[in-house]
Amino acid sequence: MMERPKVAFFDLSCCEGCQLQVANLGEELLDVLGLIDLVEFREVMSETWEGRYDVAIVEGSVVNEESEQRLREIRRRSDLLIAYGSCATIGGVNGMKNRKPLPEVQQEVYGERADWFPTDRTRPLHQLVKVDYFIHGCPIHPQEFIKVLKSALAGLPYQVPDYAVCVECKFNENVCLYDKGVTCLGPVTRAGCNAWCVNNGNVCYGCRGLVSNPNRAGAEEVLREHGLDAGLIANKMLMYNAAMEPCDE
Amino acid sequence: MTQALIAKTKLADLVSFLALCGKVVGPVPLGHGQFKFAEVRSLAEMALDYIPTILPPKKYFMPQYETLLRYDGADGQQMQAVVEVEELVLFGVHTCDLAGIQCLNVVFSDRPRDLHYMIRKNHITLIGLECSDYCDSYASCAMLRNHLPKGGYDLFFSELSDGYFVDIKTQKGEQLVEESGLFEPVSDAAREQLQELRRAKKQIFRSEVPIRYQDIPRLFDETFDSDVWTRIGEKCLSCGNCTNVCPTCYCFDVMDEPDLDLTRGRRIRVWDSCQHETFAKVAGDESFREQRSDRKRHRFNRKFRYPMKRYKRMFCTGCGRCSRSCMAKIDLKETLGALMEERG
Repeated sequence: MMERPKVAFFDLSCCEGCQLQVANLGEELLDVLGLIDLVEFREVMSETWEGRYDVAIVEGSVVNEESEQRLREIRRRSDLLIAYGSCATIGGVNGMKNRKPLPEVQQEVYGERADWFPTDRTRPLHQLVKVDYFIHGCPIHPQEFIKVLKSALAGLPYQVPDYAVCVECKFNENVCLYDKGVTCLGPVTRAGCNAWCVNNGNVCYGCRGLVSNPNRAGAEEVLREHGLDAGLIANKMLMYNAAMEPCDE
Repeated sequence: MTQALIAKTKLADLVSFLALCGKVVGPVPLGHGQFKFAEVRSLAEMALDYIPTILPPKKYFMPQYETLLRYDGADGQQMQAVVEVEELVLFGVHTCDLAGIQCLNVVFSDRPRDLHYMIRKNHITLIGLECSDYCDSYASCAMLRNHLPKGGYDLFFSELSDGYFVDIKTQKGEQLVEESGLFEPVSDAAREQLQELRRAKKQIFRSEVPIRYQDIPRLFDETFDSDVWTRIGEKCLSCGNCTNVCPTCYCFDVMDEPDLDLTRGRRIRVWDSCQHETFAKVAGDESFREQRSDRKRHRFNRKFRYPMKRYKRMFCTGCGRCSRSCMAKIDLKETLGALMEERG
């Protein structure tokens, strides 16, 4: 039997909820574990690995010098690198600090001990190192994780859908939230989660990032027509997408 | 027997009878004035007075995710075609949606014939239901001549005062009528009531846009370079709602999904949309329709002009779903009006 690929999970700045999604896979977790040799996963095991990783799955965003070095080291030791969860793929909620001067946010969080915790602007992984696969979402959608893992192990590309969440939402025949008098970011957010939140009675917060060429003016017009002012629209859009650079689109 | 009657009091028994024979699907309310086709066991679960469902019945003929074949790469490349099929009765289908299914039948019978579609279609029984009045202001079924039944069903129900006039179109329909034992022969009074219904419909249903059916393709021919498309393109979010909810849009993507052992897997097809930027992209990142305006124009031409050349029929049924579900409020009737105004 061929040796199973060495797979490791790592976390940078994040809540680690995406890793729990894997731990919570249930029966499928056993199938996944049968396919790989899990060598590092702080969330569920204490062992570490000194050798080379076939696949490194990295959660969280880079927010200081230390995490940048750690990420570069992981990349150096990995054949494939998967950015895992919104923080890693688009910066996520961490990105909000990029919209204020750094000393101000540092002061707000650490108060008089701000100097103890050097910080930098939030960056998703691909802004620093080469990323081979992206698994978007806050948290990641378990079924998409399995899809991407299979693609990575089989050496196939995984195309993140580049169309709106509306597509999958319509596939599921949800009553459009706009028809319920609620606004959601589905029309400009990239799909792949099977409209998970809307299926379960929530709105889309845009956690997977914007589609690659969103009609910003059109979307703002739609939101304005539903009574949202420009400031609120910007806030909605920036909750997850504040760390995006123009080159990411 | 080509026609029959069923009393309203017996309709519930009919649905129960159908449910005993297999899966029955009908319009079910979702709240907020919206509906979807879903499995039912009884008449009480359905709302026969409904506006077009979020997705048209095409989802039963070509599911959103459909397995085409299973493959096994363990020893060479073995492939086995798969048709996931079940016996189904679609109950209460309006004339616009019957027209939509007829369009799909035409396309998928064209060469190369789509056997997955053809096989599945044979397992679906269609029971139509006549609209006595407009669903809402988005509908344009009269302009497209789909407010009256034009076939494409096994049975077709028209509501009378205390029963339904039933047109029997196929052997399958006739068998249903006989085996259920719930129908009776038509009376002269019932015939008269049906004629009265159709007379009343003539007054209610008028072409919703002042254009003749046969003149529509030329309108799109002559307005290909119109500014209307630019304006619509600026509004469009490319969310794909218009194409997903369209009863005649049938474009799809095909992809392989490996099982966890990575040697076996299935090939699936998934609904795709000409409104997505990725749809028109080809090798080298070239795009045939890069602008939203190009894509929007393509959709309209694909409904009103191109299929007229190829199939001698329009692929718009007038159901109004695209306008109803458009995030940017791009409206089919308004668009036609704007094009007519611009052409003069």
